[in-house]
Amino acid sequence: MVKINFTLPDGSTRAIDAAPGGSLMKAATSHLVPGIVAECGGNASCATCHVYLETEDVALACPDGSVEDEMLDFTASPRRANSRLSCQVQVGDQLEGLTVEVPGAQV
Amino acid sequence: MVELSLDDMSRDPYPMWARLRAEAPVAYSPSLERYLVTRYADIVELEKTPEVFSSREEDSLLTRVVGHNMLREDNAPHHRIRSAAEPPTRPRQVRDIWSTAFATNCGRVLEDLAPRGRGDLIADFISPLVELNLAAVLGIGGVPRGTMTQWSAHMMAGNGNYADDQEIWARAKAATAEIDEYVRLAVDRVQGSADDSIISAMVHADDPLPLDEVQNNVKVIIGGGINEPLHVFGTGAWQALTDPALRARLVDDPALWRKVFEESARWISPIGLYPRQVLSEYEVAGIRLPAGSRVALVIGSGNRDSAVIQNADVFDIDREPVAHLAFGGGPHFCMGAWVARHQIGALAWPAVFDRLRGLRLVEGFEPEISGWVFRGLKSLPVEWEAVG
Ligand code: FES
Repeated sequence: MVKINFTLPDGSTRAIDAAPGGSLMKAATSHLVPGIVAECGGNASCATCHVYLETEDVALACPDGSVEDEMLDFTASPRRANSRLSCQVQVGDQLEGLTVEVPGAQV
Repeated sequence: MVELSLDDMSRDPYPMWARLRAEAPVAYSPSLERYLVTRYADIVELEKTPEVFSSREEDSLLTRVVGHNMLREDNAPHHRIRSAAEPPTRPRQVRDIWSTAFATNCGRVLEDLAPRGRGDLIADFISPLVELNLAAVLGIGGVPRGTMTQWSAHMMAGNGNYADDQEIWARAKAATAEIDEYVRLAVDRVQGSADDSIISAMVHADDPLPLDEVQNNVKVIIGGGINEPLHVFGTGAWQALTDPALRARLVDDPALWRKVFEESARWISPIGLYPRQVLSEYEVAGIRLPAGSRVALVIGSGNRDSAVIQNADVFDIDREPVAHLAFGGGPHFCMGAWVARHQIGALAWPAVFDRLRGLRLVEGFEPEISGWVFRGLKSLPVEWEAVG
């Protein structure tokens, strides 16, 4: 299991133990972490599963020129350097102990 | 069990949806031969469970009208078609490629309209504009004015033909035969030289679609790509024309039209419901749905569910932003969402309210809104100061 900490827009935090292999979006929504809407169910076509990963690890940055990169220009909360679509992030050891900020708005 | 009067439903489905949400949120309708799922939370749950709620519905009305298509597929077969067709509809393509073409089209339509002084904003403005825009995005040319709107209406009537009206089938069939021919010509054209269009994207995809698949899926796109934006446009324009305070704010800050778009799509969802078929027994809201049974996800009801959306029956662009269900959810999330947001919210409304000075509804206007499977305003007769 991979431990992931979420910071929510109201300032509260939530820690989950996520099963490796699935997407961060699926892990968050199945643990009922609020604020991740994920309208398109993980197909990188809605931009409502936006999160900020609190990390400097370049391996976790959004790949340049990907569909995700393009969709991130259209999120409801401003895009930052550490923005990701959580449906495009795989849960694995690289996320162990990571803090993920849920933005204030998804729509 | 619930008996629906289709006439009452067409006039105003919302009282029935409210009753079902309160009393029987998963109710079987013998006439529709399916369970109606009417609460927001249950709809979202089912949308997010495509492994149980299959889009591959047996004897689907849509498949009867357009042939095998991506809306009635699951998993890999769906993904194959969707990923071939989708790239031209993504928001960056809309911004970088289509916004210029759309603005040109809008200018042309308004130039024609402005000197006339009166007309119908649905038939004379948004319908020609959406036709031109959709023809560009699809990559089909030379379709006479008015034709695509007719095609869309006839196919959508077939798709909602739960009453099995034979004339509706005949008109839908004639429309699809015409579309097939236009698509055949377009495919021939892009085969030699690729362009930015959806047809070209399908033909030149990593896993290219054969002609019949291009044809069927273009039909689906025309079905949803005209009727639905027309309906959302009508709702928002009507609200702005009847609420002076709202209108003043929109004139002041045209970016607010984006909120009008989402709220119009929520308040009178152009697609009221869509079907799914149950692959393995599933329980929702205390009701057991047997394997093989059918459901309708009534998004027109979920979008009025006061358990999630306060004062849901009221049109209010200042409400807390809600993730409305009008575009559907899961893998079938509306492919045209970004195109529609741009062409209606960022372009058509701001342009028509800016360009047609003194725009007002004709004296005695009574809105005629109908439909429950597909719902929207039928016409919006207006006057303005005629200028050349
Ligand atoms: S769930 Fe839609 S983009 Fe991630």
